[in-house]
Amino acid sequence: MSQQFTKGQKSQLSQLTAGTDLYVGIQLNAPGTSWDISCFGLDADEKLSDDQYFIFYNQPKSPDGSVQQLGAQSGDNDSFRLILDKVPAKIAKFSFCAALEGAGTAAQIQSGYLRIVAGGQEVGRYAFTGADFGPERAIIIGDIYKKGVWRFGAVGQGFAGGLADLIRSFGGAVEEDSAPPPPAAAPGFAPPPGGPAPGFAPPPGGPPPQQAAPGFAPPPGGPPPQQAPAFGAPQGAPAFGGPQGAPPQQQPGYGPPQGQPGYPPQGPPQGQPGYPPQGPPQGQPGYPPQGQPQQQGYPQQGVQPGYGPGGYGEPYPSQAQPTQPGAMSTLNKFREVQGPGRWVQQNHKLVKVVLGPEASAKKGAMVAYQGDIEFGHRSGGGGIRGRIERNLTGQGLDFMTIRGVGEVFLAEDAADLHIVELNGQRLCINANNVLAMDATLQTEIKRIESPGIPGGGMFHLEVGGQGTVVVMTKGSPLTLMTQGPTFADMNAVVAWTAGMRVSVSTTVRVSREVYHGASGESVALQFMGMQGHFVVVQPYEV
Amino acid sequence: MQGQLLQHYGQTPNHERMSTHGAKIAKVMMQGGPDVLARTGSMIAYEGLIDFNPNPPQIANMVRSWASGEGVPLMVCTGQGELYLADYGKEVVILQLQNEALSVNGKNILAFDASLQWNIERVQGVSMLSGMGMFNVVLRGQGWVALTSKGTPVVLNTQEAETFVDTDALVAYTEGLRVKTKRTARLGGLFGRGSGEAFQLGFHGHGFVVVQPSEDARPRFQARG
Repeated sequence: MSQQFTKGQKSQLSQLTAGTDLYVGIQLNAPGTSWDISCFGLDADEKLSDDQYFIFYNQPKSPDGSVQQLGAQSGDNDSFRLILDKVPAKIAKFSFCAALEGAGTAAQIQSGYLRIVAGGQEVGRYAFTGADFGPERAIIIGDIYKKGVWRFGAVGQGFAGGLADLIRSFGGAVEEDSAPPPPAAAPGFAPPPGGPAPGFAPPPGGPPPQQAAPGFAPPPGGPPPQQAPAFGAPQGAPAFGGPQGAPPQQQPGYGPPQGQPGYPPQGPPQGQPGYPPQGPPQGQPGYPPQGQPQQQGYPQQGVQPGYGPGGYGEPYPSQAQPTQPGAMSTLNKFREVQGPGRWVQQNHKLVKVVLGPEASAKKGAMVAYQGDIEFGHRSGGGGIRGRIERNLTGQGLDFMTIRGVGEVFLAEDAADLHIVELNGQRLCINANNVLAMDATLQTEIKRIESPGIPGGGMFHLEVGGQGTVVVMTKGSPLTLMTQGPTFADMNAVVAWTAGMRVSVSTTVRVSREVYHGASGESVALQFMGMQGHFVVVQPYEV
Repeated sequence: MQGQLLQHYGQTPNHERMSTHGAKIAKVMMQGGPDVLARTGSMIAYEGLIDFNPNPPQIANMVRSWASGEGVPLMVCTGQGELYLADYGKEVVILQLQNEALSVNGKNILAFDASLQWNIERVQGVSMLSGMGMFNVVLRGQGWVALTSKGTPVVLNTQEAETFVDTDALVAYTEGLRVKTKRTARLGGLFGRGSGEAFQLGFHGHGFVVVQPSEDARPRFQARG
């Protein structure tokens, strides 16, 4: 039995349901516009006194778990789980809001609703249309608030100034700087510090966006609250709806209406559910004026999850968006990403290096360049020794130098690229997994010798110094902290920190048979290291 | 039955002429539109009654004029229904041309409306230098195009600076750019100590170049010892 609400109507929650574990689903049908749905946890004065209770796609969960964003599911564009018993006393109100991203107004909403589901049953629904709103760019849809007891109110109020205005009205501070670097541009080997919010500033206290390409460093003690697509953080909880989403038995009666057991997996496992790639909001046909790439918005779009490789939150087909007319309206989201720094991730598979200073890259890795650039042969190691090393290591270390002034775009065979800033530390990288690096880095070819390894040894490159190296992996890698003995298949290991004791163990029968007649025995490397050391493995055995 | 496969991977609600199904499948609605020219062998599924003709006269004439035989394998798809296309897991980019013109690398074309003006052209100069022909499909007019890109592409503005692209990584460029070939390799580069980057196409002018993060694995011209 679902009670229908009209604008302004209020009701005690206890009249709707006795449950305190609520699912709040919001749907907005507004073709051509894209909305960010968020939940504000406010204090008794209706102020956002604690940013940790501003729940949006960058911060999908409050610290105590009382409110959690679940993303798109069961026909809802976005959904939240609210456990009223866990809500701290200082929070008296949850305001469910939607804000426009890009052009448009709230009047373009064809239909929408906010529904409350408890125990697998929809108990209340407030349906609205764009006619309830005017030219506003943000709306408060409904509130769940405490006035003696918990109540629900259908609000349906618009805010002309969009989300920033909305946040200000709640007493939150809005940082004007709203052009953080791309969220997904952070497949460094450490958890990216929460993707930035396209179109509006992250709440104060958000991590500085410049860390978008962190080094290999393990996550610091306090991982960022967002836990974005961190393939580098063993202890980091996965993104939305992962295991930390509470096992089903802890939440009797909770579940989306279809009665799926527990939480169904929602949205792409990584990336941001509920935020499928949208056509660029600009929607201008033809060429936009020059110089527009610097505009906010493009960097984010350049690395939208929409075109990530399989593992990076590729959208589900069900989240498909229509194509806008004009070739550039599609292509805009692939525009060159202008970022800070010398090495700029364009998307998961493409990296740009800005010259100046000389860089070196694997031969043939250049896909395009702008400016006056010269590619030369790198005399690796020099003389006969260098040639022998090159022959022994195969193609992996066949490098070229890149000199000149301009920008060079590097990629290889659509492999995933990861920018690693060494900051003086040393990293050993499998020779096949190095794409490019600053020419200032010191490199040394090393070899792990074992009779079990075909060719008598495994070559890798030890890189150290101040600078950046670009590591490529086939598929999303896994970064393992070496707390105990860690084993990795020689064919899958990508990189490891220098200074660990590495030994070869051939006794492990773990790898699958490579060819008929093979013993099935492959070479595993054993890593022993102190705190802070790690091993990176790719899901692909060469 | 339940599961993500059923929940998220069903038919998309899009009813536009072309749309994507995930990142790697193109969906073409064939109802009441012109024929579609699609890459030969790219059909992965269809619903309805669709005929495929891999050797239509208008293409056969063009093919005959090429000496090499390599080029752009296209088939004409006629009929009513939904057509799904893919090309070995490459990512699909759907464009809606609005009286624009685009030159697409023959390896990166997946499908386009037959109502577009189109022509297959050999890119000047490339065949001479790199030992293989490079064929582009030039599309002009109003209609839908599906491109493929191995990996997420990047779009470079040629107005900023003259842009050089590896011929194997070039996906498409807007018409009206001045194109020239560039040979960065000095003579020594051909003998054993090359940089691996020998030939590029240079683009200059007002427009855009689309580049994919992969150089299609094809035999390359390398006179290395």
